[in-house]
Amino acid sequence: MAYQDYTHDMQRCTRCSYCKWIPYRYIKNTDFMEGCPSVARYLWHAYSASGKFNMAYSLLKDRIEIDETFLDVLYHCHMDGSCDVSCKVQQDLEPLQLMQELRIKCVEEGQLLPVHMLVIEGLRKEDNMMQSPKADRGKWAEGLDVKDLARESAEVVYHAGCRYSYDEELQPIARAGMQILRNTGVDIGIMGVDEACCGGRAYELGYAGELTKYAEHQLETLRTAGVKVLVTPCADCYAAFKVLYDKIGKKPEIEIFHITQYIHRLIEEGKISFTKEIPLTVTYHDPCHLGRLGEPWIHWQGKETRAMGPMIIHDPPKKFRRGTNGVYETPREILKAIPGLRLVEMYRIREYAWCCGAGGGVIDAHPDFAVWTGNERLKEARAVGAEAIVSACGWCKRNFLDAAAASGDNMEVYDIIELVQKAL
Amino acid sequence: MKLAEEEYKALEAIVGAEYITREPVILDTYNQVWGNVFFFDEKHSVRPAAVLLPANTAEISEVIKVCNKYGILFKPFSSGFEYLSLSLANTRGILLDLKRMNRILEIDAKNMRAVVEPYVSVYRLQLEAARHGLYTGRIGVGYSAGVIAAECCHHGCQHTMVFTSGYGRNTLGVEWVLPTGEILNMGSGESGGDLFSADGPGFSLRGILRGRTGANGGHGVVTKASVKLYPWYGPPQWEQTRKPGEPPSFGQLERVPDGYRVFVPSFKDLDATLEVSEELCRAEILYAFGIGIIGTAQMQEGNDEEWAMIQQMMQKGNQSFDPASGISVANSVVCVIGGRSAGELEYKEKCLRVITGKYGGSFSEQFNEPGALARAFADIIWSNGVNLRATGDFLPSSSSPDGSPAMLKKLALEEAEVKRRYEESGAFLSMGGGRMVSWRPEEHLSIGAQGISTAQYDPYDPASLAAAREFIDKLFDPRSPFNRYGVPSRGGCLQIEPVTHIHQNWGRLYDNYDVYLRKIKKMLDPNTVADWTAFIPPEYPDYAKDGDYVLPSYGKEEEI
Repeated sequence: MAYQDYTHDMQRCTRCSYCKWIPYRYIKNTDFMEGCPSVARYLWHAYSASGKFNMAYSLLKDRIEIDETFLDVLYHCHMDGSCDVSCKVQQDLEPLQLMQELRIKCVEEGQLLPVHMLVIEGLRKEDNMMQSPKADRGKWAEGLDVKDLARESAEVVYHAGCRYSYDEELQPIARAGMQILRNTGVDIGIMGVDEACCGGRAYELGYAGELTKYAEHQLETLRTAGVKVLVTPCADCYAAFKVLYDKIGKKPEIEIFHITQYIHRLIEEGKISFTKEIPLTVTYHDPCHLGRLGEPWIHWQGKETRAMGPMIIHDPPKKFRRGTNGVYETPREILKAIPGLRLVEMYRIREYAWCCGAGGGVIDAHPDFAVWTGNERLKEARAVGAEAIVSACGWCKRNFLDAAAASGDNMEVYDIIELVQKAL
Repeated sequence: MKLAEEEYKALEAIVGAEYITREPVILDTYNQVWGNVFFFDEKHSVRPAAVLLPANTAEISEVIKVCNKYGILFKPFSSGFEYLSLSLANTRGILLDLKRMNRILEIDAKNMRAVVEPYVSVYRLQLEAARHGLYTGRIGVGYSAGVIAAECCHHGCQHTMVFTSGYGRNTLGVEWVLPTGEILNMGSGESGGDLFSADGPGFSLRGILRGRTGANGGHGVVTKASVKLYPWYGPPQWEQTRKPGEPPSFGQLERVPDGYRVFVPSFKDLDATLEVSEELCRAEILYAFGIGIIGTAQMQEGNDEEWAMIQQMMQKGNQSFDPASGISVANSVVCVIGGRSAGELEYKEKCLRVITGKYGGSFSEQFNEPGALARAFADIIWSNGVNLRATGDFLPSSSSPDGSPAMLKKLALEEAEVKRRYEESGAFLSMGGGRMVSWRPEEHLSIGAQGISTAQYDPYDPASLAAAREFIDKLFDPRSPFNRYGVPSRGGCLQIEPVTHIHQNWGRLYDNYDVYLRKIKKMLDPNTVADWTAFIPPEYPDYAKDGDYVLPSYGKEEEI
C-alpha cells in the first residue's frame, strides 16, 4: 500500500473530530476525555488524525509539499492508534494506516528527522534501537545460567527486546520474567548476543525496509533455533511479531506470546500461584502495542461496491481492525489474582487507553512531548486513587519513570512482571 | 492572497507566535469538511491566510480591531464540523480556532443555568450538568457540537426541543465581541454583574444575535454565554457497557434510566405518523421526540456489517423495512417522557397511550424491547454522533419554516415524495422505498419543525452528486411547488451564500426580510470583516437569482 491508496479515506474524513476524543459513550470524567495526545498538546487540527487525512489529501493534490512543518506535525505523534479506534466507531476509515504510509513516504523521499536517522544508523550497525553495542545485547541475562539458543535447543525462546536488554533500570525486569518462566519448568532459552531488534519501531518511524529485513532475519533465526514458541515481555516486540510480520506477509510459524499471556496460561494450569500479599492500590495502563495495536492483522483483498443505492460496501465484506481483539483482560486477571492487590481502573482504558508517551519515535525525537503525555497519564492514575501504575511494556515503564522524575510525581511505576515476582 | 508581513505581525503580537500559523500544511487542514464537494466542487474550500488560537476575549477583541484596520476577513469556530463554519469569502480571511477557550465557568444549579466558553461541547456540559440534576438539549449535529454554537450561532434542531426549547430561547446573558472589536455584554452583564439574564439592564439582542438560523460567525464572536439548563431525571453518572469481544460501537446503557420511560409506537402510514406527532407534541408530556431515525437498532461496526444485518432481516421478512407493514422505521416515533415521581411518569404514560391509541399505534417488540429502548434513549438524549459512514455525505433538505403543523405536514410529505424518487433511481440511499422524514418538532410544534428529509448521497459519485444538487434546487427554488410553504430554513447546512442564494431568492417573497438582515449586518460590521458566506452578504454578488445551484467563484482565482 502507498499513501495514495487511502485517497478514499482522505476524501471521506468528515472533520467530525471524533478522533480527538475517546469514544463519547465511554467518557466518564471530562478531565480525561481526550484521546489523542498530539492534538491535545499542540491544538492545531493538523495534529489530529483528521488533520493527517487533510495533509495527505493536500499533498496528493499538489497543494502542499513535505516540508519541515509537515515532518514536525507527522512525527509529533505517538502512532498509538487511539484516533483509529475512535474514528472507527463512526467510520470505515484507516487513519493509522494512512499515517504509517505517510511516514514511509517521507523516508522513501529522504525526508528524515536527524534524531531518527541516528537511531536507524545505530540499528543498522548494532541491531538495536538503543544506540548501544550489539556485543552487550545479552548482558541482562548474565549469571542466570539460561540456555543460549545459538548453541542449545529449547521449546520457548525468550525475546527480551531492545529496551529491556539495554536499559539498566529495566534489565532486572527482563531477568525476573525469565526466572518466573524458568522456575515453572518452561523449557526456555534466549538468543543472547544474537538477539536482534524486531524492527517494529523502525517501521513506525517509516523505515519499512528495516521491518522486512528484521522479520526475515527473525524468521530464519527462529527456524534455525527450532523453537515452537516466542515469549516477549515487550509489547512493542509482541505487536511486531504478532501483527506487523503478518501484515507484510511474514507471519511466523510459531506461537507468539506476550509474557502476560504466558504467565496467565501458567496460572490457569496451576503452575504459578501467588503466595505473598501485596497491599497496594494499583491501576493498569494498557500498552498500545499490547492492546489496540496488538490486535491480529486482518488480510483483505477485494473491491469497493455499492448497496441500497450509494451505500459503500466491500466485496467480499471487509473486516476492519477496530482494536477489539487486543490483549486487555489477561494482564488484569493476573493483577486480580495477586493477594492484597487492589485494581482500580482509569477513565481511559482498553481500546481507548491514553498512550504512555513513548511510541512512534516520540521518545527519541521529542522527549518533552513524551514526558508531557506520560504525566497526563500519571495524573489520571492519581485521580482514580492509585498508589502505583502498572504496565506491561518496557517503553511504558521507561517513559513513566521519566515523566514522574520530570514532574516530581512520586507515583510508583511497576512492570507487571515485578508484581508477579513479588507475589510468588 | 497572503497577509502582508505587517498585518501578520500585528496579529502575532496579540496571540503570540505559538498561537498563530500561516504554514500551508496546517492551513490546509482548516478548509476540508464534509459537504464541501457539494458546494465547492472539491473538498478544499478557500484556504485561510492564517489561523489563530486566541486565549481569551481581550485577545479576540484586539485581533478583530486589527482586522478592521487592515481589512482582513475573520471567522470564529468551535468544533468546525460543518462547512459553513470554515468557509471564507476570500483568501485574505483568517480563522479563529477557539479551542483554547474551553472552560465551563459556572454551573448555577439553583438558577438552572451554566456559563460556558465556546469550545465546551454539548456532551461535556450534559455530563457535568447531570451531576447537578440538570441537562442541556442536544443538537442534531451530535455530541461534539459546541454549546455556544448550538444556542447562539447556528441552526440545528434538537429532538429534545419539546422539553428544552432551543435556538435563542436558551440564551441568557452573552459576552459578544462585535465585528468592530467592541465587547458587548447583553442583558445583566452590562451592569458588571454576571450573565444571569438576557433582558436588562443591558440590551437584549437575542433576535439579532442569532435569530432563527444563526449568523454563523457573520457578526462577531460570542466568547461567553449563560445558557438555561433543564431538569435531568436520570442518574448523576452513567455507564455504557458491552460484552467482552464486542467492538466499541456496541457500548450501550443496560436499560433506560429510572426517571425516564421510552416508547416507540408505530402507525399505519406516514400521514398518520405526522398527525399523531402533532398531538403528542402539543400534549406537553414529552422530554424528547423524533420521527424516522429512531435509534433502536444496534449500531453495527461498519457498513459491511450493517448491510449483512439488513440482508438478514430482509430474508427473514422483517417488516421494519416495509412501510406498508405498519411497523416500519419510517412510520415510527420515539417518545421519551421523564419525571421526578412515579406518579408523574404514570400520568404522562397514560396520556401517551391514549393519544397513540387514538391513531391506531402499536408497540412492536422489535422496537420496544428493553435494549432497543435503551439505545433509542441514548441516541435521542445524547446523540450517537453524526453517521456519515453509509454514503460519505448527507443533505438535510432543511425545509423547516415557521408555520402551522398542517403546513409542515404537507411540506414534509411532498418533500419525502421527491426524495423517494431519487432513492428509487439509486442516487440516494434507499431504506425500502417508502416516504420517510426525520421530523424534530420545535417547541411543541408551536413555531415549526425541522423536517429533515435526509438525503444520503455520495459526493464522489457524479450521478449521486448531480442528483443531490438537483434535489436542493427543487426544494429551494421559489418557483418550485414548495414556494408557498415558506423560506427554507437553511438550517444546519445549506447556508452558504450566494451558492444557494437563499436570501436573494426568498427575501422578496417574504416582506423583504433580507433587507433588514443586510442592514443589521452593515450596522454591526461597517467594514465587512466578519465573514458573510454563511450569513448574509452586505451586497448581493451579481449572480443568477433563478434558484439554480451556482458554484462559487470567490477565492478560486487566487493562487494557493
